[in-house]
Amino acid sequence: MGLTRMHHTLSKSHAMADRTTTVNRLEEVVSTSEEFDQIVLQALPILLDRATGYTKRFLRETGQWNDDIEHEKFALRWGSEYLERFRMCGRSEVPCRPLFLFDSLVAKQHSKPEPFCYHPDLLRPLGRFLDGLVARAVVSRDALIALYRHSYGWGPGEVIAVTGLNGLESQRIYKNFRRWRESGWQRTMKEMGLTNTELTELGNQQQRHRQRFNGEAERLIRVAQAHYRKSEPDHYPCLSRSQWADMFAQGYGCDYRIWHLALCLDCMQTAWGLGTGGSAAGEKPRLELQVRP
Amino acid sequence: MSQEEDVDTYRSRLLESLSERSDRSNRDASDPIQVYVNERRVGELEGTGLGARLHVQCVDHIDMVYLRTEEGILLGGLTAPESGFRTDRVRLSSDTVELCVHNAGQGGSLSAVFIPAASVWSRAWKTLAGLADRLTVRGPEPALGYGMRAVVFAQALTAIAVVGLVADRMTIWTTSDRTSTPVLQTAALPMASIAGATRLEQQLDELARMQAKVEDVLGSQQKGMAQLHQAMAKLSSTQETLESNVLTVKEEKEEIEKRLETVSRETDHRPTRQIASRGRGEQEQLEAAIKNLTADNDRLSKEVVSLEEHNQALKTKLQATVMAASRSVDPGPERLLKMADSLQATQQQAPFLFWVTFSDGTSQESIDKWVHEIKGYKGALNEGWQEVRIVPPAVPPDRFLEQIKGDKIVKAARIGQ
Ligand SMILES: [Zn+2]
Ligand SMILES: [Zn+2]
Repeated sequence: MGLTRMHHTLSKSHAMADRTTTVNRLEEVVSTSEEFDQIVLQALPILLDRATGYTKRFLRETGQWNDDIEHEKFALRWGSEYLERFRMCGRSEVPCRPLFLFDSLVAKQHSKPEPFCYHPDLLRPLGRFLDGLVARAVVSRDALIALYRHSYGWGPGEVIAVTGLNGLESQRIYKNFRRWRESGWQRTMKEMGLTNTELTELGNQQQRHRQRFNGEAERLIRVAQAHYRKSEPDHYPCLSRSQWADMFAQGYGCDYRIWHLALCLDCMQTAWGLGTGGSAAGEKPRLELQVRP
Repeated sequence: MSQEEDVDTYRSRLLESLSERSDRSNRDASDPIQVYVNERRVGELEGTGLGARLHVQCVDHIDMVYLRTEEGILLGGLTAPESGFRTDRVRLSSDTVELCVHNAGQGGSLSAVFIPAASVWSRAWKTLAGLADRLTVRGPEPALGYGMRAVVFAQALTAIAVVGLVADRMTIWTTSDRTSTPVLQTAALPMASIAGATRLEQQLDELARMQAKVEDVLGSQQKGMAQLHQAMAKLSSTQETLESNVLTVKEEKEEIEKRLETVSRETDHRPTRQIASRGRGEQEQLEAAIKNLTADNDRLSKEVVSLEEHNQALKTKLQATVMAASRSVDPGPERLLKMADSLQATQQQAPFLFWVTFSDGTSQESIDKWVHEIKGYKGALNEGWQEVRIVPPAVPPDRFLEQIKGDKIVKAARIGQ
């Protein structure tokens, strides 16, 4: 018994010494990208905890913190997001001291007006699912296209018809769908910390209380969409019916259509029927949340 | 499952996927590369075309630039400077994306250019970059701007030139004197150095000219970049206003049509058309700019390739010389003579013959002195023309004769009788 405890204490202090060494290395100047990659790869746990700590502090200071597992997960998620960006940008910043660069990058993120989409309801499984989906759609085209699938239950053909795409763009949509099914969805769920149990439970809720489930989903997806639907000021804003009609008729703004209509429930209603498939479809689409890809 | 365990599991999962991300080679080459500024998508870059470009003008200051796959995987990124320019190359397996960010008081702008692995230009670039690596002290690469790169180019070229000169000098020393008598050989050494010096001078001229040419091309390349930069900025802002104008013009048109039904259609359409044609004009300018730039690139890469070839030839010569030198065991000045001997055995060459007449009243003494000075030997005398034999000069015969004619006592010189 005593021996096990001593062994435990020893290995613990050993781990702490390792940690100190790694932190020291992070404070030293790194002069090549390869060296940077290597040191950061070794220090991933330390850096993740550091970024998570900063995020927790930010949430506390802005009155958005609560001592529960949801908030812990939220802070971890953003910590890992910052860490990923740091790994990419940092390697072009050499020579640099990785730790200081990392701190300044996180500080920079937290000095922005709305660094992340925080809403207490978005921390629960349904909210986390939607937040993860929409957040991913902003950085991944596969996820953006998948939003049509998860929001309305459409397949590639329907997406192409509704957004009025041409042949070349259509091929890409099929590819986006395939990749999302194969790996994108899985990865996003994993990164949002959604367990299989939680996903199954979401599916059950949807079966049992369809209307209430979709009503709640609509309320939450609007919160997430409003946060993430940002681009350069006045670049891709909401449009009137006649403006959308113009865009569809003249065939310009392909990116605009795909991007905005996926991220805006209201404009989907406004622009309904303008694409080739719309006129035949009749009734305006309602949110019908799909959990699985 | 306790709560604490769940958080730990989540943490390990995140760490796991962070480690997996180090493998960035799985980009589907036919997919466009998504470009993000400050975490917002601003456009995409064709991932297959030669030199696909994207230019973005932002109202906001640019903090970060990211490149992602369609799956959302980060391929690379760049932190923008508080103000001013920053360029960087993001390597995607074999292809490259060159990013140029510019932050100014009125916002930021970004240029992204896709450079596929197979392009002539990037191959030439690699060759040169390799040379620069070998020949110059390496600086912190990412900090290099266009200007700095040009300096590295120039340094590399200078280094090549120096290597070339050394190689050539050694070749001159060992190959230019080929006569039959040992006495002459000894005497011919200083002669070789004179001829060698002339040749070196000539080569230095040539190299300087070549370098000036390359620097010229580099200069126009940079200028072209800057012009393209401006043209693109102008075009993108025109297109933005064009897009928004098309919308407002359409709406206004309906209004105008209602109110001024008598006015001809011609008038109604004019605003749209004017803007559209303006856009087209800019487009043409831009296309011309790109064409010029491409031509510059081609010219430069050809220049670089020929420089490389030239350099290769010089290096081969140097190697041959060094090898010959290392085979020779005797130290001291005799060594060079020995080398000349061995070369002579394989490459016997006749002395160079020419005829001169001297200015009226030149004494025999000064003629003899002159012949001695050029390390020559007098031959036959025919109708006032004196035959002179020397070791073959390093310069072409015509040029050599011109040099001879420049001497004060020489009236005329020719090769044949
Ligand atoms: Zn909208
Ligand atoms: Zn620019």
